[in-house]
Amino acid sequence: MSAASEARLFLLGWNFRVAESAVRDRVAFNPEEVREGLSRIVGQGLASETVIVSTCHRSEIYGLAESAESGDGLREFLAQWRGLAVAEIASTGFWREGPEAARHLFRVAAGLDSMALGESEVLGQVRQALSLARETGSTRSVLHRLFEAAVASGKRVRSETEIGMHPLSVASIGLELASKVFGELSGKTLLVLGAGDTGGLFARQAVDAGVKDLLIANRTRKRAEDLVARIGGTVVAWENATEALGKADVVVGTTASPEPVVRRVDVERVMQERRGRPMFFLDLAVPADIDAGIRDIYNTFVYAINDLEQVAEENRRRRAREVPRAEAILEEELQKFLAWFGNLSVVPTVLDLKKRFEQIRDAELARLPAGDRERFQKIADSIVAKALHEPMRRLKSEEDPRRKLDRVEAIRHLFDLDGK
Amino acid sequence: MEAHLLGWLAVLSYAAAEALAITSLRRPKTLPVVAGTVCLAAGLLLHFADLQVRARQLGSVPYRTLEGSVSLFGWMLAIAYLALQLRHREHAIGPFLIPIVIVSSSIGLLLPAHVSPATEQTRGALFALHVTFAILAYAAFTFSFVLSLLYLIQNRQIRKGHTGVLFARLPALAVIGRMNRTSVTIGLSVLTFAVAMGLVRAQELWGTLADPKIAFALVTLAVYALLLWLDRRGWEGARVAVLSIVGFCMVIFSYTVVNLAFHTAHQFR
Repeated sequence: MSAASEARLFLLGWNFRVAESAVRDRVAFNPEEVREGLSRIVGQGLASETVIVSTCHRSEIYGLAESAESGDGLREFLAQWRGLAVAEIASTGFWREGPEAARHLFRVAAGLDSMALGESEVLGQVRQALSLARETGSTRSVLHRLFEAAVASGKRVRSETEIGMHPLSVASIGLELASKVFGELSGKTLLVLGAGDTGGLFARQAVDAGVKDLLIANRTRKRAEDLVARIGGTVVAWENATEALGKADVVVGTTASPEPVVRRVDVERVMQERRGRPMFFLDLAVPADIDAGIRDIYNTFVYAINDLEQVAEENRRRRAREVPRAEAILEEELQKFLAWFGNLSVVPTVLDLKKRFEQIRDAELARLPAGDRERFQKIADSIVAKALHEPMRRLKSEEDPRRKLDRVEAIRHLFDLDGK
Repeated sequence: MEAHLLGWLAVLSYAAAEALAITSLRRPKTLPVVAGTVCLAAGLLLHFADLQVRARQLGSVPYRTLEGSVSLFGWMLAIAYLALQLRHREHAIGPFLIPIVIVSSSIGLLLPAHVSPATEQTRGALFALHVTFAILAYAAFTFSFVLSLLYLIQNRQIRKGHTGVLFARLPALAVIGRMNRTSVTIGLSVLTFAVAMGLVRAQELWGTLADPKIAFALVTLAVYALLLWLDRRGWEGARVAVLSIVGFCMVIFSYTVVNLAFHTAHQFR
């Protein structure tokens, strides 16, 4: 009987696909609750190791269980802790075991299981989950290795496929296009017309993307001032917005105005003043804020909300096309992890250890003159057999599966049996 | 034979650099990028050795012959790209530029070799500088041509909202535009110098400046000067890129058709 078959990976989870948000809210944990949960799961012996991944779209409890009943125990524990019926937990959550649990984590880390396919935030959240578990002392070798492997594979997927390359949100598409016109956006001036929700969101994202010179104009000055107080920038009086056009490289329209706020004549004049240097317009307003005729002026780049949404749609398809390649990478990395995990049992470890000693014996014997070899062979065989006898016996007879796993892991590491 | 061997080894190195450049464009990883730079540098050294051998055979600078000048042109283009790579870490241009290096180096090897002694016309420091600078200018304009193509490609990607691999790897329009301006400025300055020396020499040797090649060189100068002027007066962007492509077509015309078809005193011999 090997340790791997005794210690089994499991996953109990809820995500945006399978659980109604009412249930998900109950099983969502803040960092404090994650710490508490981790300690209690290990403390009550429901798992020998555990990590909880809790984000706005998912709550997933990964663990290494010593008995087949630990799933029921975990559900009961959760039901009691979160004030839910056991049946409710069982019917809304999903359960994975063994390689399936590991595969799920790999997919999550690579963003393949995210609402916005290929998003990168989740990679940080998986890493964060591991470090919380480490702080709490609820991980040992197996989940530690599993999570590190998942993070590394997620990174590999990001660098080797285009899954994270094509932006999906209208604002990030706009900023990405602008940065391919101007290069660095940090030295450019951005004028946001309208300080409502859209304007505020866009301005925030622009600041995050490195924009330093931010001008905000709103019909009600107070709102622009509030926004500037929150994210920085300069308020421009609404009457002076046309004048501010002359300073801006990027102009974003987000007002509720029924007519275009940026007129063609003004842009023609401004373009002459700036000697044809490119200008970039994003129209996030419906009806449009930017006069459609501006597109025809040389060296202007004009995007309406429809254009950007089309790009977003196309980018979603591009990302989806990358899924098979991403999965192939994950599968390759998963097999490496599973091979390591599979070796974490007594029989292969004993065999590997024996082989390692025999290699040393053979290498030493090969250095002897041919005549002496046979004479020493017997002594060498006997040394190897005796040196290995006791450790092997103890390893095989260990009763506590958790200790057995730790020892197997220690031997594999100390004797470099996984060939690093 | 020896000359050909070195030359072809150089072409082989360039080809390897191109393959690695394409690989790096698709998936930028450190190893292929560095290996590509090493291959390019190796190609340059081999190519230089080849030019040396040619020079020894001719007993003069190797570029008074057509094959030698084409070869030197490829070499200068490669060295300019290597400098750009080392200075600006700009790798996206390689896949588009190195093929021109490969083609021109190969043409330099495939054309029948002329091993005639230098004449009065093709001797002296003034002549050597004139030709070297002219070829250097051609290399700079070729650089500008490739950058202009890339500008138009990137411009199209941006306008269509195609955020794919090319979009991600090619530099921003402003960056390509800046590099283009530098190339044209270098090309224009160097060509002006080359033409000035050529004019002095032509007046000395022939007593006349009525020569199709001279006329073409002057028109080329005018086109590129106009380009730089318009670049600052509202034409920055796609229009300048198109104009640079037009200028390059004239350079090619002047280098090939004018040299070969018009019976001018400017033929390589």
